[in-house]
Amino acid sequence: MNVIEAEHLSKTFRVKQKEKGMRGSLKAIFHPQTEEINAVNNVSFSVQEGEMLAFIGPNGAGKSTTIKMLTGILYPDGGKVEVLGIDPTKQRRALSYQIGTVFGQKEQLWTHLTPYDNFRFFGAIYDIGANEIESRIGMLSDTFDLGSFLNTPVRNLSLGQRIRCEIVASLIHRPKVLFLDEPTIGLDPVVKENIRSLIKQMNRELHTTIFLTSHDIGDIEKLCKRIIIVNSGQIVLDDSMEHLKYHYLNKKILEVKLQEETALPQVNGITLLKQKGSHIKLEVDTTVIKINDALHNIDTEHVEDINISNVPLENIIMEIYSSEKV
Amino acid sequence: MRKYAVIYRSILMENLQYAMNVIMGFITYFMIVFILMQLWNYMYSNPADLIAGYSRQQMIWYVMITETIWFGTRTATVTNQVTADIKGGNIAYLMNKPYHYTLYILTKYTGEWSIRLPIYAVFAAAVGVIMVGRLPDFHIITLLAAIPSVILGITIQGVFKLCISLISFWIEDSNPFQWIYDKLILVIGTIFPVEIFPETLQPLLKLTPIYTVCYGPAKLLVDFQMDKYLEILLAQVLYLGLGILLMFFLYGKGVKKLYVNGG
Repeated sequence: MNVIEAEHLSKTFRVKQKEKGMRGSLKAIFHPQTEEINAVNNVSFSVQEGEMLAFIGPNGAGKSTTIKMLTGILYPDGGKVEVLGIDPTKQRRALSYQIGTVFGQKEQLWTHLTPYDNFRFFGAIYDIGANEIESRIGMLSDTFDLGSFLNTPVRNLSLGQRIRCEIVASLIHRPKVLFLDEPTIGLDPVVKENIRSLIKQMNRELHTTIFLTSHDIGDIEKLCKRIIIVNSGQIVLDDSMEHLKYHYLNKKILEVKLQEETALPQVNGITLLKQKGSHIKLEVDTTVIKINDALHNIDTEHVEDINISNVPLENIIMEIYSSEKV
Repeated sequence: MRKYAVIYRSILMENLQYAMNVIMGFITYFMIVFILMQLWNYMYSNPADLIAGYSRQQMIWYVMITETIWFGTRTATVTNQVTADIKGGNIAYLMNKPYHYTLYILTKYTGEWSIRLPIYAVFAAAVGVIMVGRLPDFHIITLLAAIPSVILGITIQGVFKLCISLISFWIEDSNPFQWIYDKLILVIGTIFPVEIFPETLQPLLKLTPIYTVCYGPAKLLVDFQMDKYLEILLAQVLYLGLGILLMFFLYGKGVKKLYVNGG
């Protein structure tokens, strides 16, 4: 069952333009000029119940605008959108009971109150009974391990603790779809890993659909099974993570440490990325040359150490960002 | 309604931590009230004089009450915060909750003034009794009767200031409009009662929010009359209804024009 359906979704912004200098400022008073920007242009996709989807793209690609249209914050200029069978533009409040949002760069918690008071507040605004709120706070507090700082004002919490509380505040009403906009921004690797495993657990146990945007490849790689890449307001790739890796991982990185500095022969399909003394880093295109044949071009008798790895997902995504529509 | 009661309770809990900050505001309040006291003492060369129907004590108490309402309800929640929410895009993160943004802001405003105003009222009453003497013919029943009018006046003030802030959906900066509105309320209604102005102007002033925000509640406290009470309450209910309709209209139209930067 699809929980999100977007068909030919479009959003255009009119942005004020001003010529440089004082003259430009004066001219703008009498002849204001605007430029139309297609933030989202004819975007169509659907998301299934329980899916964990990464919706990514470079800055200004239109991902946040798309999330805001899906959550009823922005009105689309064209196309149709339905989340859980609800039109967000017409029934924003009804939808708010069914979805949760975490914006990593924006606080929704009241900083002068404790997490406990915040959760009671959010529970009440979602019309949950007092006893039920207590039981949910207890359960989520155990799951997210908030016990030690449940009664500390939010302003005194560390970033990692605060983000955990932000996620709990978004889950207090048991949303069916959770929109996470850069939930791990600014967190250290240990806390990031912790947050990711909690999101996974939540998806597994509560079957919550996760719609994630992030610039952190770790978030995408470790959480999502499907990826949508947007650039310049359009979808440039909509594929499973497995498929993406299979199709784009035809290049291998070969790192070799030789006993002495050696000049390598020029071979089609092998690109020298870096050489520092006897250390060599090569990229092998396996559609042109097999990895075994590539190794034969190296003086294997004098190899001290060798490492073969895939091209990092980050590089693949960068390549897709910079390419035209796939 | 329960969710707005919870918002109100949360604001009270948050603001109680800053009750001491309110006390610091008394210094400014006292300076202004002291200057106005000296001004009116000078105007009433003979203490038995009546100016526009007010005795010297009534006039000074009137100014002290309006200034108390002014200071006790002074908050950025319905002004700068709303403007910043709209211009900075923070409104996006408040809109997708199951409450109405404008009612959420008004509840926050109510939570703030319900801490500040009683503190100012106690301070003002003490200053008034010590420096001016008891308000003539004042009974506790007058205070109880005037309380609904004070609450309505403050709410009207919040609604109209919020309406002005909502203009930020269309224009870059609504602060100049706030400034004009504030100065009108301050001059016509706060520092001077409506009766001071020419008789030809008074019917016009009665049609403005000034009549319902400051003048009405203060007039009832210094000179309670039943017919005036009913007239003021009726005007306040009408003004509040009109203001709320305008507020919903502006918000409904404006939110469709919302432009939120990415991030």
